[in-house]
Amino acid sequence: MKKLGSVTGVLQTPVLLIALVLLAALVGVGGDVTVARVATLAIVSVVFVTGLSIFSGSSGVMSFGHVAFMAVGAYTTAYLTIPVNLKAALFTNLPGWLSWLVDAHASFLVALLVSGVAAAVLGVVTSPIVARLSGLQSGIATLALLLIVYNVLNSWTDVTRGSSSMIGIPRNTTIWLAFAVAAGSIAAAWAYRRSRSGLQLQASREDYWAAQASGIAVGRHRALSWILSAFVCGLAGSLYAGYLTSFNVNSFFLTATFAFIVMIVLGGYLSLSGAVIGALVVSGLQELLRRLQDGQFTGGSALPAGVADLILAAVLLLTLIKAPLGLMGVRELVLPRRRRRAAPDDDATEAVTPAAEAPTQAARGA
Amino acid sequence: MTDTAQLSRRPSVLRMADGGIHFDGVKAVDGVTLEVRSGEVLGLIGPNGSGKTSTLNLLSGMLRATSGRIHLDDDDLTRSSMRQRVQRGVVRTFQSGRVFGRLTVAENVEAAALGAGSRRGPARRLRDEILDELNLGAVADTRADSLTAGRIRTTAIARALAAKPRFLLLDEPAAGQNETEAVELITSIRGFARRRDCGVLLVEHDMSVVMGTCDRLHVLDSGRTVVEGEPATVRKDPRVIEIYFGKRH
Ligand SMILES: Nc1ncnc2c1ncn2[C@@H]1O[C@H](COP(=O)(O)OP(=O)(O)OP(=O)(O)O)[C@@H](O)[C@H]1O
Ligand SMILES: [Mg+2]
Repeated sequence: MKKLGSVTGVLQTPVLLIALVLLAALVGVGGDVTVARVATLAIVSVVFVTGLSIFSGSSGVMSFGHVAFMAVGAYTTAYLTIPVNLKAALFTNLPGWLSWLVDAHASFLVALLVSGVAAAVLGVVTSPIVARLSGLQSGIATLALLLIVYNVLNSWTDVTRGSSSMIGIPRNTTIWLAFAVAAGSIAAAWAYRRSRSGLQLQASREDYWAAQASGIAVGRHRALSWILSAFVCGLAGSLYAGYLTSFNVNSFFLTATFAFIVMIVLGGYLSLSGAVIGALVVSGLQELLRRLQDGQFTGGSALPAGVADLILAAVLLLTLIKAPLGLMGVRELVLPRRRRRAAPDDDATEAVTPAAEAPTQAARGA
Repeated sequence: MTDTAQLSRRPSVLRMADGGIHFDGVKAVDGVTLEVRSGEVLGLIGPNGSGKTSTLNLLSGMLRATSGRIHLDDDDLTRSSMRQRVQRGVVRTFQSGRVFGRLTVAENVEAAALGAGSRRGPARRLRDEILDELNLGAVADTRADSLTAGRIRTTAIARALAAKPRFLLLDEPAAGQNETEAVELITSIRGFARRRDCGVLLVEHDMSVVMGTCDRLHVLDSGRTVVEGEPATVRKDPRVIEIYFGKRH
């Protein structure tokens, strides 16, 4: 009986989260063009933040570099889906050893998958860094990764078009495709959390040295979750490119990083539910703020540029001060249910014992 | 059970020879030689700051010795990492518990079983056995950071047992308990260890607690060995009386 309860309990969270994303998709389908656009991009954000949460949620190590994986996914999709004749015109100075890029072409679904794999390859290459570093060092290293990828994309003009936009990507991302990828990502993130590796990584998040003392190969599990999370963020980049049809290298830098950080921190970076809810809530908030800035709520007089970002920053600050672990903390979304019959007994013993132990602490010291 | 049968064929010894560790001039451990044999409980005692935890850190690999060697039977562990030593069956606990706070008791134990190399199914069976054995079943699904101090201690021990130890290094597992409770806890630890034919190094600062519960005692003061031997003999040693009772007069 306990087994049955725990199985439905285990699947409850991903099912509820996918239902939330489905709700967002339905709003998008039912709304006007703007609403559809906001909903689709919100779901793409869900994919990205779910990917980030695979690493940060279980390891407890925040990454400021995951947008680099998104960039790799977006560029890969661009190379594989822009029509070949347009590519020939866009990339006239490709170095010889990359000339095959002009002729490379794939269906969008293949491009989507290859984008994830390309990001995962960057994940494999960079995984030794996160396997070795913790805390502040790790945060700075992930930021360095973002800077490196950004600078390569921005400077290697012959291959990446530098600061000029990538254009002519066919629009292949539909809201339902985005939803399907989001659902798959949520399921994968949940499965990872419940896996052997996920459990050991969460143990190391709670106490690094105690995990080492339990024989847990912390570095190996960090690396594994890092690579999986890179893959999912690569998918997000591919969906993004396939939706917007053109993008610029600046789409994958500090502004995007900041927005995603607000999402995961507001929702709660230790919880998958927090990541998904944060992505949806902040996407909605961003749209409201954009409208506010455009003057839609102030009788048409536009507010100074930057007001929206300022308010977003204020939201982040307020969250960090008032609820450092976000809306969800370490909790996951579950349906409210009645407590088990045995629960009051447990509570009673738990409540009595500390009182009984208190004087003995004084008796023998620690 | 098969493990126990295998191990009992060949009694093992965990040995530190002339081990030392210095912290910028402070000799926390200074030329200590000791050995723990499978099946026995060796009490490591000494006043505050005498180097008990540091000795345990050297044996477990949390700190690298600045001098001396550490062997498990014929294998040199001196350069092995803490993880490698856990795989070899040398498992420690911490003076402050250090349970995985936001995981449940069951997850704490399962994570340790997985860390020591068990596959998922066996890890879960081992977890359930240990939770039963240590009477933690009722709090299996409770988050470790909301437990009472007593159950945090038990969870830390359960976690160590999940790593299938051949040698358990316990740092003041009974800290904060009164004498009767401490003796009771250590007696039950003795039972867990016996059943696994596991050697125990037990750090404790209270002489009266270890008297009846340890097979042998090793006394440290200022990082050096004062005396080692049977509890009854050690207790009568004038140097031990000086350290433990001398300052009171
Ligand atoms: N990491 C460290 N850096 C510097 N000095 C240390 C360090 N660890 C321990 N020491 C010093 O080494 C000496 C021995 O400390 P240790 O913790 O081993 O003693 P202990 O016997 O376990 O004491 P207690 O009963 O208080 O737990 C002390 O003087 C302590 O200050
Ligand atoms: Mg100590």
